[in-house]
Parts: sequence; structure tokens; C-alpha cells
Amino acid sequence: MTVVDVRIELKKGVADPEGSNTKKTLESLGFKGIDSVRTVKVFEITLDAPAEEAKKHAEEMCRQLLANPVIQKYSVVVR
Amino acid sequence: MSEVRVCVLRIEGTNCEDEMAEAFRMCGAAPEKVHLNQMSGKAPPELRRSIEDYDILALPGGFSAGDYVRAGAIFGARIKSSMGRQLRDFVDSEKPVFGVCNGFQILVELGLLPAAKETMEPSPTAALYNNDSGRFECRPTILRNDSRGRCRLVSQVPSGRTLAIPSAHAEGRLLGMDEDFADRLEDNDQVVFRYVGPEGEKAGYPWNPNGSKSDIAGICNPAGNVLGMMPHPERVMTRFTHADWTRGYTSEDGDGKEIIMSVVKAVKS
Amino acid sequence: MSRDLLRRRNTSFELYDVSVLSAGDSELAEISSTLSLSLSLDEMKVIRTYFTKEGRDPTDIEVQALGQAWSEHCCYKSSKPILKEFVFGIDRDDVLSRGDAGVMVFDDDYGYALRIESHNHPSAIEPYGGAATGIGGILRDVVCMGAQPIGLADPLCFGYPDRKGDLPPGVKHPRYLMGGVVSGIRDYGNRCGIPTITGGFFFDERYTGNCLVNVGCLGIVKRKDLANNFAGGPGEVMILVGGRTGRDGIHGVNFASRDLTETSQDDSRGAVQLGDPITKEPVMHACFEVNEKHLVTGMKDLGGGGLSCVVGEMALAGGCGADVDVDKVPLKESGLAPWEIWVSESQERMMVTCKPDNVAKVLEVFALWDVIATPIAKTTSVQRMRLFMNGEMIFDMDLEFLTGGPVYVRPYALPSVPDGSKEKFPDLPSNKEVILTLLSDPNVASKEWAIRQYDHEVRASTAIHPMVGKMNETGPGDASVLMPVPGKWKGLAAAIGCNPWFTALDPYNGGKSGIDEACRNIVAVGARPNAFTDCLNFGNPERPERLGEMREAVRGIGETAKGLGIPIPSGNVSLYNEAAGGRAILPTPMILACGLIDDVRKAITADLKKEGSCLFLVGSTKREMGGSLLFRKFGGSDGKVPGVDVARAKELMDRLLRAMDSRLVLSCHDCSDGGIAVAVAEMCISGGIGAELDLTAIGGLEEGVKLYSESNTRWIAEVDGKNAEAFSDAMGDGATCIGITKGASLKIKGARTDIPVTELRKAWSDPIWKIMGGAGDE
Repeated sequence: MTVVDVRIELKKGVADPEGSNTKKTLESLGFKGIDSVRTVKVFEITLDAPAEEAKKHAEEMCRQLLANPVIQKYSVVVR
Repeated sequence: MSEVRVCVLRIEGTNCEDEMAEAFRMCGAAPEKVHLNQMSGKAPPELRRSIEDYDILALPGGFSAGDYVRAGAIFGARIKSSMGRQLRDFVDSEKPVFGVCNGFQILVELGLLPAAKETMEPSPTAALYNNDSGRFECRPTILRNDSRGRCRLVSQVPSGRTLAIPSAHAEGRLLGMDEDFADRLEDNDQVVFRYVGPEGEKAGYPWNPNGSKSDIAGICNPAGNVLGMMPHPERVMTRFTHADWTRGYTSEDGDGKEIIMSVVKAVKS
Repeated sequence: MSRDLLRRRNTSFELYDVSVLSAGDSELAEISSTLSLSLSLDEMKVIRTYFTKEGRDPTDIEVQALGQAWSEHCCYKSSKPILKEFVFGIDRDDVLSRGDAGVMVFDDDYGYALRIESHNHPSAIEPYGGAATGIGGILRDVVCMGAQPIGLADPLCFGYPDRKGDLPPGVKHPRYLMGGVVSGIRDYGNRCGIPTITGGFFFDERYTGNCLVNVGCLGIVKRKDLANNFAGGPGEVMILVGGRTGRDGIHGVNFASRDLTETSQDDSRGAVQLGDPITKEPVMHACFEVNEKHLVTGMKDLGGGGLSCVVGEMALAGGCGADVDVDKVPLKESGLAPWEIWVSESQERMMVTCKPDNVAKVLEVFALWDVIATPIAKTTSVQRMRLFMNGEMIFDMDLEFLTGGPVYVRPYALPSVPDGSKEKFPDLPSNKEVILTLLSDPNVASKEWAIRQYDHEVRASTAIHPMVGKMNETGPGDASVLMPVPGKWKGLAAAIGCNPWFTALDPYNGGKSGIDEACRNIVAVGARPNAFTDCLNFGNPERPERLGEMREAVRGIGETAKGLGIPIPSGNVSLYNEAAGGRAILPTPMILACGLIDDVRKAITADLKKEGSCLFLVGSTKREMGGSLLFRKFGGSDGKVPGVDVARAKELMDRLLRAMDSRLVLSCHDCSDGGIAVAVAEMCISGGIGAELDLTAIGGLEEGVKLYSESNTRWIAEVDGKNAEAFSDAMGDGATCIGITKGASLKIKGARTDIPVTELRKAWSDPIWKIMGGAGDE
């Protein structure tokens, strides 16, 4: 079994209300020096395939479902 | 004209199918609520349905599959896998497809909107993304019909008409790949509805509840037979579900009826 | 344990025999605490006596089941005698059911369901999940009546969200709790597609250590499809449907029946479940389908106590027993001990019973909706519950003994109540400052921050919305009104009533006031109050003064409801609401009222409609300042708490409703927190129109009392000048003209008060947005 981490994040320039709202709330709780907060989604996918193939599968999953290329980019890391 | 058959398509988490079906019924059509499993052969024989048997496909609002991954993404992917080709044929035959709220999100995820290059793009070319406020917004909004004639589904709604149609969503901000995305939609007469203020002026927040570029609330495909919109016309079929009807009214019909009526009339007899 | 109180049985699964027969008192107490049973020593002794008669020691799963069934949450052992004395007896022939939810006649074809319950303790630990699962539970209570849920009502109580200063150990900040709870209600309610139409926020320091999350739900059901919550008799099959069973939510009911402690956070994580609205939704649809096809004989939600409570209650009420194959229960993970399966409170589960012939058809329906459905038990003709694991019997108890539970008549102490003779009226600044201060108190200020995150229009039947007035410049409404049956104009109104401050000072009149306020809200929109459901949130009943508060409040509720002739077909009790260190909450008897209106097109909202109308006060203003917002803000004390003259209330409601039905009323608003001054200010805000008040016609009181007294049974009504006389006549001696609508500010004659409506709006609109954060504060 191969475990891949699929990381979905917003492209640069796409506003992230959840991130900025969280930043504001953290600051209101007294946390200082926060430069930015961005939300990132990670899917941990366990596949019955060798590492190289698993990575390819996962990338195809991103194209077909996990990421919307208009706003999101993805990266796949095999553990 | 014979009875207009409407397929109101649903999966788990779809939750506006009752009022969508009721809205079409109020406009003289014959709606049927159909679970996607009935289209994909998973159901017992007597419950199986086929998209060709309908005149209109309606995708209602809700949180299909919990809006997990992204709003509309999972329903979109499941439609593609179980009835993608039939759906493309349906659209190519110029039958009306109408998506509201989550239904609009599904149409975008399916690549049926804005669909600049082909009927059903292989991957999404737009996104309906988190509201600027970062919150779910349930509030009255006012739409102006900005279609210049391309969208067949609003052909019965006078151009420039403003209608009070409520919104209720957390992800309604339309985004495209590039800066002039909205201009191209406009040039191509694909912008159907814009949010406006109470006097018809440009809408700031909260009249544009999500921060959508150019105040776009609804768009159609280049062929003009697929319409997606964030606000909910099916919620205001009578005057008495509008938020402010106790302040006076002239007609007992709600503003949404004009839109649904027009969608029904878009069926070619 | 001090000696071998638990003996592992030689089975492939984990099972212990519990040495109860030979146990002394201290060992019984030890068993209860080690196994987290929350049973008292006396209760353990009853169990010892029972098993001595049976001639054997119980298994761990048997004592766990008793711990669940005998918890306060499941058997109401402290509250039942009080409820019986005051509220159970109110009957009327339009009560269709008093099942898991109450069901009342809506019209000839339909009934409507109503129920409210608490989800306080889980929400204090994990606000998002706690509130979400609360919504899940109340929806299932309505679904198992065969009713489609149509509206949610969520009254919430927190400490002040802008609270400064240190918090007691283990207590979370009210702002955090409020944010989490609202998100939980929003995500669960919105995803299920049920509009959240009414509710309330109550803020007080005394909720800081123990917030209250009450969740109410309304439903609509064809009378011919009204479901039972029990088996149809022996020989039937019990089918468990919905989510799988896991370790989440173990001991939730025991947790709800104890005070919170500093370490609740860590001890009780197992007791907070995670909800899954997207499983729930198809479960609901499938349940309706099998019910409408009359394939099932009974349906019940798995809530507190899990399988252990639901199987017992469904069998006992159906006059039978049950044989259960515990190993058939679908699990989330392997390795659960039988007792864990039996008491788990995993979400999204329901039980249905059916005749053996219908099992296949029932399973087919659930399969179409992709919902897991598994026959796990049979009903039997002996009233015993027997459980089997891989064929081995692990549980065999008399059902009456198991489910009946103990009942306590606990000692109570009646509170001493201020009679007003020592009232200290505060020195007040200008009316302008007072009114703006009252409007911006979080208890009065706009709750738009929360309301607009809830979808209150889904299902397309919301006729009167929670916020009323000009679009996007709205003000507060009174009751929301739904049109539950498509194509029919008949409306169902819902509103909350509760005044915890009155109840703390004078529980009896506080209870009465809650009913009065709920009715005022219903009547203000033109609907006739028809039924109540109540959620009684109080402190530890083992403390006599707490139980006394509850007893008096329930007496007030019962007497008022009885006097009005309005039944309470469902309700819920939540006790042990105390923070670490024993500080109790404000006693909070939350009332959810439902009303009927024949034609929603005649419904009325609170926003002023035009200039030049007459403003009438309906009802009488008295010197009743106890617990008032004015006294709380400006430091008055020892005032008399408002009472209710029930006969007079009934008469005024009848008259006002008749006047509304004759279309004599343009707008109407209930007069409560902050008195006449705040009520009129709110009508100005939502209507965008000013008013000129002249209170001379209200005789015998000083101005501060006239403006800010919170006497019950009062409304402000806007009446077109040409109808003023007709309205006056219709109201008998019940209406007093107190001003006109005019201009763009609120003016009070004789007091040189002049507040622009824009300032009223700002004072009222901004506070909660500012505290909770919002789009406008970038």
C-alpha cells in the first residue's frame, strides 16, 4: 500500500475569507506577529499501487475531482 | 403543446427539490423528482429513468454530498460518470437545463457553464467560490435581466426587468481563469442576471451578497439553453414568501414565477 | 478495584460479570463510579435486590443498560412528580399524539409536530459538534412521528460574548461558544434543508460556566400517516437504520445528568458525538417512504441511551419483550465490547419495527437511498429483554424493571420573592441615553449576524421571516410563520418565550411570563396560540432551592397554559446545569409556542408601515420593574416581577386577533425587554419611520416606569387613523392611544426626547456584528 498526501490550496491572488477571518480571530485572542493564515486542504489517500503509479493516479484524481483549476492548485507527495 | 416533463435531479444532500418540483407544477409542467441512482441503473427496474424522457433538466439547491471537496464537485463527478454522455446529448439537443444555487455550482463543476469552447468542458473553467464575507448569507437580493437574447430560458422575462429573488449560499462568487473573464461573458451575451440595488443601481454588499465580479448572479452557455443562477426563484412563487410583502404588493404572484414560467416556455414544441 | 468486582467471562468478546450480589455498600458505590454508571447507592441497592431474586450476578452490559435507563435524562426521576402535578393534565381533543414529539391538528388532513429539547452539556465542551448533533436529534424526534421537519427554533444562552477578564478553569469564552454553536446549527440545519425560523439569544454572566443550547423543531404530517414510536406487538422485526455504531457518544446521558466540572473537557470527550447531516438526509427520506407505504408499525430515534433505551422503550410500549442479536449491529470499528455497542449514542440512527412479511420491502427502500438497514431484533410475547452475542445470552432482564426507573420526590425549598415594597429605582440619564443603551444591550441588539447565516427560507414556505421590514434594513420580528402545505394559505406560527431574569427573582411569575411572552409573539403576527413545548433548564435538583425554583416555574407555566386552555404535548427537562464550583445558571424555562392562522395573507409584521398612523398600547402598564432590562443595566433592585392575569390575557388576545382579522391593524409588536420605549424604537427601526409618543393617557405612573416597565400581556399596534375608533371599540378598555407615526425620529412628549431613527438603528444593529466580526468591520 502506498500513502499519498494530496494538498489542495488556493492559487495566489484568490482571496481566502476563511484564512483572513481566522487570522483576525487569532489576533483578537491576543496572538501577535501573525503574517498570514491560509486554508489548505489535505486528502490522505491510501492506494494499492507502487509509489510512482500512485502519484500518477492521485494527480489524475486532482484533475477530475479534487481541485478546480480556476481557483486551486494541487501537489502530491508520496509518503 | 403536450405536457412538459421536468426531471428534478437529486442525490443525498440535495434539499430544494420539493419546492423546485412544486414551482414547475405551479407553472403547468409535470415535474418528477429523480434520484441519480435511478439514472445509473442501480435502482429496481420499475424505478429506472432515462434523461431522454424529459424536456427539462432541473438541478435544485442544497448541499449535494455535503458539498465536501467543493460545492457541487461530487454531484458533478457522479453525473459525469453515470450519465455524462446522455447529458451531453441532452444539452446538444438544445433542451433546457436549469440549475439554482447548488445546481449552478454543479453545472460549473460539470463544465456545462460557462462552456466557452465545448458543450461540456473536460474540467471546470469557472468556479463559484466562498462569499467575500466568509459567511453563509441568507438575504433578499434583486436581480436584473441583462440577457440580450441569447438565453432562451429567460426569453419571456422582459430585458432589464428587476426581480426580487432571495439568495442563500456560502459559495456564490463567480470566478474565472483570468481578469477579463467577466467581460468575455458579457461580450458573448452569457450574463443573464446581475445583482442590483433597490433602485436598480450598482449593487454593493449586501445587495451583492457574495462579491461576484461585475455583480454576476446567473449565466448561460453559448447555446443559450443552460442557465445557472445563485438566487432561488422557486422560493418566491407567490408574493407571500417574499421577505417584505407585508409592506404592500400589487400581485399575488411572486417574482420567481416569471422566471420558472419562462423556463417552461423554453421547451420547443 | 478493591477486589475482584469484575470477572472476565471466557468469551471471544469482552464481557464481565459484575459481583453485585456479594458487594457491600462501599463496593456498590465503587462499581457505579468505576463503570461510570452515575447511579446512586440507593439505586445500586435496588439493582442488588433485583439480581438476588434472579439468583445471579449481572453482566457489565446489564448494569450499563440500567445506568442509561435510570439517568435523569431518560427517566425524569426528579422532575416527573412536578410535571405530573402541573403540566401533564392539560388536554384538548386536537392533541393527536404525545409521542417523541407532540402532534396537534393542523387542519382536516394534516397534523403538525412540535418538540424542543436541550443539548447543553455537549455544547459546553464542543460547541460546534454539540449543537449540530442537537439539531440532528430533534429532527429525528419529529421524523419518527412520520412528520416532515419544516422549521427549527434555537434559543441559546451564553455569558456576555464581549466578556472581559479571567474565566474559571475549564470554561470556554462565551464568544467562542456562541461562534461554535451558531456554526453547528447553521451547518447542520442548512445541510438538512430545514429552515431555522426562530430562536433567541440570552446573555448573562450566570451562563458563562454552563451555556444552554435548546433546539426545537416543527414538522407536518398527514394525519393518516401519523406514526407510533413503539412496536405493533410480539413477533415483529426491529430494523436498525442509518449510521454505524461506534465509540462516539458513550455515556452522553450520564454526562447530561451531572454538573460540569473543571475536567469535563477531558473526561467527557467520548460523550460528544460528531454529526453527519448527509447521512441524516437520506435516512429521513427513506423513513418517510416506508411510513407512507405503511410498511412499518413504529419508528423511534436513537438518542440518549442509544440502543439500550430505544429497544426497551419500543418493546415495553408495544406490550412485548425483545430478543436482540447484538453482533448484528453494524459497527464503525471492530473490537467494541457488547456494552459499548449497547449504550453508544452514535448519530444518525433510527429504529423501525415491522411485520416479518414486510422486512424485504423495507430493506429495499433503504437500499435505494443508500442507507444501511439491518434487522437486529425480534419482539417477543414475554416482557423481558434478552441480548445475544454470537448466540450466547449476555443479558436477561424484566423490561418493566429496566425501563421503569426510580422516581424521587425530592425535598424542595421555596424562594422568597420581592413584593416591590423595597424597590430601589435607579437614577437615570436622559431618555435618549437610556434607550440607546437598552437597544445596544446584546439581549436586545440585532441578531442578524446569526439569523442570516441560517437558511430561514429553504422549503419555500416562510411567509413571515425572522427579520421584518424594508429589505436589508430590517428590524426584529415577533413570530415566524410557515405555510406548511403547498397550495394552502393556512399558516403555522412559531416563537420563543422566556425570561430567565424574572424566573430567577420570582420563579412562579417567571414561568407565567414565559408563556405570556410566547403567546404575545404569536398573537403579534395575527396567529392564535395553539400549543406549547417546553425545555426546562435548571440546576442540580438535589439542592432543595434549585428544585424549588423549578417547581414554582413549572407551576406558573402549567397554571397559565391551563388557564389559556393550551396544551403542552411535548417537552424536555435539563437539570444539573451548574458550572464548576456549583454556580447555577439562571433558571431557564424555555417555551416554544405554536400558533395557527387561517390565511397567512392576513399576517402582520412589526415594522411601521406609514406616517400618520395612531400607535396604541394594548394591555396595562404597571409598576413591575423586577428583573427588567432597565434595572439590570442601570442598577435598580427589589422590584416586583411582572405577573399575568390569565383571564385578562385571554380576553385581550381574542380581541386583538379579531381586530387583526378585520384588517384594522397595520403593524404590531410585542412589548417586552425595555418596555414600551424599546418596542416602539424597534418598530421605527424596521419601518424606517419615526414616532411621537405621548404617554399621558397611561395614568398614575412616573415616566421611567411607563417607558421601561416590562408588564406582561402588552403589544404596540399601529392603526390607520381612519380605523382608530373602530380599533378602540374592538379592544374594549384594552387599548390606549400613545402617539402617532411621524417623521424620522422617535420623540417623547414632555421629555424633550428626540432620537433620529438612524441613531436607533445604529445602536441596535452594530453591537453583535462588532463582537462576532462581520463584513462591515473591515
